[in-house]
Amino acid sequence: MSRIIDRGLEEQAALLAKMGELTFETLETSIYGYLEGRNVKTQVREMSDVLVAMADKVEDQTFELIARFQPVASDLRTIKSYMKIGNDFARYGRYALDITSIAEQLGGLTQCEAWIQQYLSLMSQKVLFMVKVSVDSLRRHDVTLAKTITAPEREVDRMYLEFLNKLISDASASSKCVASGLLVTRYFERIADHAVYVCESIIYVVTGEKANLG
Amino acid sequence: MTETQQKPIQPDPQAKMQSINLDVWFGQKQVLKSINLSVKPNTVTAIIGPSGCGKSTFIRTLNRMHELVPNAKLNGQVLLDGEDIYAKNVDPVMIRRRVGMVFQKPNPFPTMSIYDNVAAGLKLTGAKKGEDLDDIVKKSLIQASLWEEVKDDLKKPGTSISGGQQQRLCIARAVALRPEVILMDEPCSALDPIATAKIEKLVIELKQNYTVIIVTHNMQQASRVSDFTAFMYLGDLVEYGRTKDIFESPKSKLTEQYITGEFS
Amino acid sequence: MNLNSYGLRKFKNRFFFVACAVCVVLAVAPLVSILWEVIVRGAPQLSLNFLTATNAKDGIGPAIQGTLILIGLTSLIGVPIGILSGVYLAEYGNNHFGSTMRIINDALTGVPSIVIGITAYGVIVIGLIGSYSAIAGAIALSFMIIPIIARTTEESLKLVPNNIREASLALGAHKWKTTLRIVLPSAKSAVITGVLLGVARVAGETAPLIMTILGNRYFFQGLNEPMAALPLEIWRDSLQAQQSIIAQGWGAALVLILLVLSINIIVRVVSRGRLRK
Repeated sequence: MSRIIDRGLEEQAALLAKMGELTFETLETSIYGYLEGRNVKTQVREMSDVLVAMADKVEDQTFELIARFQPVASDLRTIKSYMKIGNDFARYGRYALDITSIAEQLGGLTQCEAWIQQYLSLMSQKVLFMVKVSVDSLRRHDVTLAKTITAPEREVDRMYLEFLNKLISDASASSKCVASGLLVTRYFERIADHAVYVCESIIYVVTGEKANLG
Repeated sequence: MTETQQKPIQPDPQAKMQSINLDVWFGQKQVLKSINLSVKPNTVTAIIGPSGCGKSTFIRTLNRMHELVPNAKLNGQVLLDGEDIYAKNVDPVMIRRRVGMVFQKPNPFPTMSIYDNVAAGLKLTGAKKGEDLDDIVKKSLIQASLWEEVKDDLKKPGTSISGGQQQRLCIARAVALRPEVILMDEPCSALDPIATAKIEKLVIELKQNYTVIIVTHNMQQASRVSDFTAFMYLGDLVEYGRTKDIFESPKSKLTEQYITGEFS
Repeated sequence: MNLNSYGLRKFKNRFFFVACAVCVVLAVAPLVSILWEVIVRGAPQLSLNFLTATNAKDGIGPAIQGTLILIGLTSLIGVPIGILSGVYLAEYGNNHFGSTMRIINDALTGVPSIVIGITAYGVIVIGLIGSYSAIAGAIALSFMIIPIIARTTEESLKLVPNNIREASLALGAHKWKTTLRIVLPSAKSAVITGVLLGVARVAGETAPLIMTILGNRYFFQGLNEPMAALPLEIWRDSLQAQQSIIAQGWGAALVLILLVLSINIIVRVVSRGRLRK
């Protein structure tokens, strides 16, 4: 049986699915721009602003649904989580913008040592994969997929620390590359955390469990 | 449910009231199926479920009011402070003095004044001779948040006040007997939203002194007033737990469907 | 809307109203004419002497006294039994015995009064007491009044909403107390109406009285003695040839009507006063 609240929930789900796609695109643009030394800041800023506006809209809808339909159980969990996921997605956009700022200030990665370039490229693949997992498990409300986020999350954390140690031991790297790599890997690590939050929200929506995947 | 059949239910020493493997039949029809539910003192417990799920019957078994239905048959136990109210030597009349009841439609005695309505329980049962009736009537009306509205009209007929006031009068009437448990059978279903809000506030205040069990059709009401919620369906107790848990993450699919309004 | 059909509907509406009014007049007209006749012919007879003196002195005193005693005795026997039977049927009679009793009670209501008179004659007048007597008349009338009161009591108790009973029982009141203190007072005015109806009905009964109290020209002689009564007075007077005695019969008829009417009014005023308090 279709209920009147369902229409609002479907609208929110559609909006979040769209946000998910845009999120991935924004991060891709930003990260590849950084890796390949292109200035994409204007483009990414626009995309990020759209994401923030969409997150605000999700929040508004959430409040309307609470005020008008007094949701309970899975409905309540869904709209609470949707609002949270909207914010996580907006954070993705903000980190993407931050990465372009680094590229603008410290110059692209192309002048840096090859191992740094390789390392960041490898880590970015992991992070983009995690974002994809989070977006897909949201779209399909897929608990099994959401639970797979733990392994890459651990990997990203490990890589972040490993990269830190290598930078310290490699005195030959230029200070610009050290600062740039340090900040960007830090953002990667934060993005990975938000991907985990999204997956935890999905599990909460579907099962009511407050999972800890990190 | 299979779990409960395998291991015998033990009396819960913490419970004010507890039903153990409670079955009820009306004639050939089984309306309650092995209900195990334990209610803690000074809490509000809401019982929700679709019409005909047995929720009204259930609370009526808690003060033996279901016995008024011809052909009613009961199996199992209901404990009040650990004592079975269906034991051989127990007089249902004594149980009803300890377990009061408020009904769906306000039902003050039409031939009596407001004052006499509140005093009716004491006069009818002769339970508390020698006590100061005026004092008990006043205290009961204060507890039912009705004193301020009727203190100058105590001699007026009980039916002369508004529906919401009548329902609070009925609560005062129940409270006057100093029961331990108050059962409420959809007490707001005949009232407007403002009168409903007053009763709901009253229910929460009452739990300081009493244990309240309330049947309601209104899920928002259950979520507002109760500490624990029981969901019943077709004579089964499907789920019972903290109200917060039931309304945030119910364990049963059926509960989920009922409270989100997905029931077809 | 079609204007013609509107006109037709309006006409039908008015026709129905007029038909109802005419029927009411048809029903009431004979009653009014009887009442008128009784008043016109009976009123001139009324005087202190007529109301208090014995027949020998052109009065109907013994008959008035006899009827009052009969009504009193009948009520004394019939009202408690009738009301309690009604209470039983309404509150406890939801079983085989109850429904059997209900049928018997209904049958008793329909028994012709002459049959009750003959029965009372056979059992009480000939059998138990051995003479015509006031008490035999009271018992015969009680048989008539009990089923009426029982039936109306049962009906009026059944009209008391069940939630009132539940409210009382839920307070821990016993069933008998609930019935006596809550249910019966709620139905009080309907029960009283039933009693009055019964009294009015038996106050005018003649046939059973002929076979039980017989009639008497004197004031009350004792419960085991024959006694006068207004219906008997009316009946006997109407059979006389003398115009003056026939006129006394009309006077007695008017007194009987006034008596029943005043009992009615007094009881209503008293019971309403109690309700107010």
